[in-house]
Amino acid sequence: MDEVIRASGLVKRFDDRTALSGLDLSVDRGALYGLVGPNGAGKTTLIRILCGLLAPDEGSAQVLGWKVPSFRVRSQVGYMPQGIALYADLTVRQNLAFFGELYDLPRRTLGERIDEVLSLVQLLDRADQPVGGLAGGMQRRVSLALSLLHKPQLLFLDEPTVGVDPRMRHTFWEHFEALADQDVTLLVTTHIIDEASHCRTIGFLNQGKLLTQGTPDEILERTGADSLEGAYAALETMEAA
Amino acid sequence: MKTWIIAKNVLRRIAHDPRTLVLIALTPLLFILLYGYSFTSGHPTHLRLIVVNHDNGLASVRTEAAGRVTLSLSLGDQLVSALDPRTFDVIHETDPAAAQAAVKAGRAWAALVLAKNFSQGMVDSVLSTTGRRVFPYEGRTITVLPPEQTETGFARLDLDDSNPSVSEAILSALKTAFSGLLPQEQNKETPTASPLVVTPLYGGGTVSLLDYTAPGVIGFAMTLITIMLTAISIVRERTTGTLPRILVAPVHSFEVTLGHTLAFALISILQVAELFVVSYLLFHIRFLGSPLVVALIVAVYAIVLQGIATLLSTLARNEFQAMQFILVILIPSIMISGVFWPIEAIPQHIRFLCYASPLTYANLALREVMLRGRGIAGIGLELGALGGLAIVTLGLGIAFLHRQGRSG
Repeated sequence: MDEVIRASGLVKRFDDRTALSGLDLSVDRGALYGLVGPNGAGKTTLIRILCGLLAPDEGSAQVLGWKVPSFRVRSQVGYMPQGIALYADLTVRQNLAFFGELYDLPRRTLGERIDEVLSLVQLLDRADQPVGGLAGGMQRRVSLALSLLHKPQLLFLDEPTVGVDPRMRHTFWEHFEALADQDVTLLVTTHIIDEASHCRTIGFLNQGKLLTQGTPDEILERTGADSLEGAYAALETMEAA
Repeated sequence: MKTWIIAKNVLRRIAHDPRTLVLIALTPLLFILLYGYSFTSGHPTHLRLIVVNHDNGLASVRTEAAGRVTLSLSLGDQLVSALDPRTFDVIHETDPAAAQAAVKAGRAWAALVLAKNFSQGMVDSVLSTTGRRVFPYEGRTITVLPPEQTETGFARLDLDDSNPSVSEAILSALKTAFSGLLPQEQNKETPTASPLVVTPLYGGGTVSLLDYTAPGVIGFAMTLITIMLTAISIVRERTTGTLPRILVAPVHSFEVTLGHTLAFALISILQVAELFVVSYLLFHIRFLGSPLVVALIVAVYAIVLQGIATLLSTLARNEFQAMQFILVILIPSIMISGVFWPIEAIPQHIRFLCYASPLTYANLALREVMLRGRGIAGIGLELGALGGLAIVTLGLGIAFLHRQGRSG
């Protein structure tokens, strides 16, 4: 297994707040990696650094073998931000077509590819509706479809299931697992520990530091807890001590 | 009534935004200071006037007692010394043709040519209007009779009349200088006919205030619309998260900036075309030059505005801040770019500020083409300045957007 993400000693400060304090991370190809932590733990900051949107104050990160920020990796990376980040006044199809062109997808197959990703998020029938007119959960689904459009090797999904109904959430996770089976690497952030159990590898993040990482079973065994929630609480207490 | 609760919340949000607070405090101050300082005189000053003084200083007159005598008056020199130094920056020239060419080329506002017989002509002109007069002559006074015939054309003024307030200021200051030429006690009655033969370069009084202000107002409208549209659009892209999403895609920062520039420059050009067509058809504004040259000025200025708007959008964290920044740019534009009152009427110690405003160059270039009918060669300086500003502002805009994309 080769390493797709490698971060060492990442530090990021915002005014008087430290979002990341010397974080190390390693994610292998084909991993479905869940980054779990409470609000403000540093999950989004880490993803923004790995996407090249933020520069770390200290430390460095490599994505797909390139030190970030790197223009070379952009076409191979998909990013679903926490916000909707779509043009509300454009239709679903227009949004996808615009980003498809930015990712250099061939024009003749772009329409087909848009239909494919919209079918996946079950929004094909809404393709010609303005995004602003869709319910919040549907907008999240369009956002996910957009991040999958160019078939990236690596997907950064920042709280992808927030506001999505339970049935669709289940479909999302099924699809994430299918992608990982196809050797796509997924780094998914969530603050809902239950959801993290879908991930094959989990990293617990607190106050900008990685408390531990491993498979759910490894973490349970390591902490002696009977649930991931319990494991997180135990690790947090140990860290505070 | 929950009005106060709502109002308190609005004020609290503003109070939490130091950048907006500073802008709220500074914007009115900037407005009134610039207005006050730039409009102090309201009178054009330091206008370039080329003087060609060929006056021999002599006037041959008929007298009752001594027949014909020659007076040595040097009225040409007196006139030049009487020119108001605040109104005029006098440049001396010996060749009338060179002086006229300089005015035509826009290097001076007017050329005053005093012929060899200027003193003679002035004396004859005054005498023919006022009858016999007493003049000092060899330590005594003599009564001089009106001339048998008078000459004209001894004082000529080639005037650039493309700017009504400047023309008015020049003519008024010259009138004052002429009226002070002959001894006070003999000059109680002002000559009814001015001895100055004025040759207006651009139709003489056909350049109305509307013609004069139209290029600047169109430029200002363009500044207002373009900066607002572009800056708000980019800030919205950032606050809604679409800009970071674009910056994660394989797109360079300069492509993002140039993409916005291209789109809004096209919109800007269409809007300006609309302004020109309506002004021309409905208000018959003066338009002597080539529409293609005007289109070139508008296109280059549109790029400058895109650069400024991109810079502003990177400084503003939200639409509200962007609006405040826009005001900070727009207020100086209208105050010190010569839109409503000429740059020449702005006090000299703050006149350098006028040349920091891109609208000044757009306004000057548009006026040259529209009012004077000049081509590209006649607006090289203004177009060069706009081109330079376009490169600098757009370059900075791209750099700032790139930096911001990497710093959150």
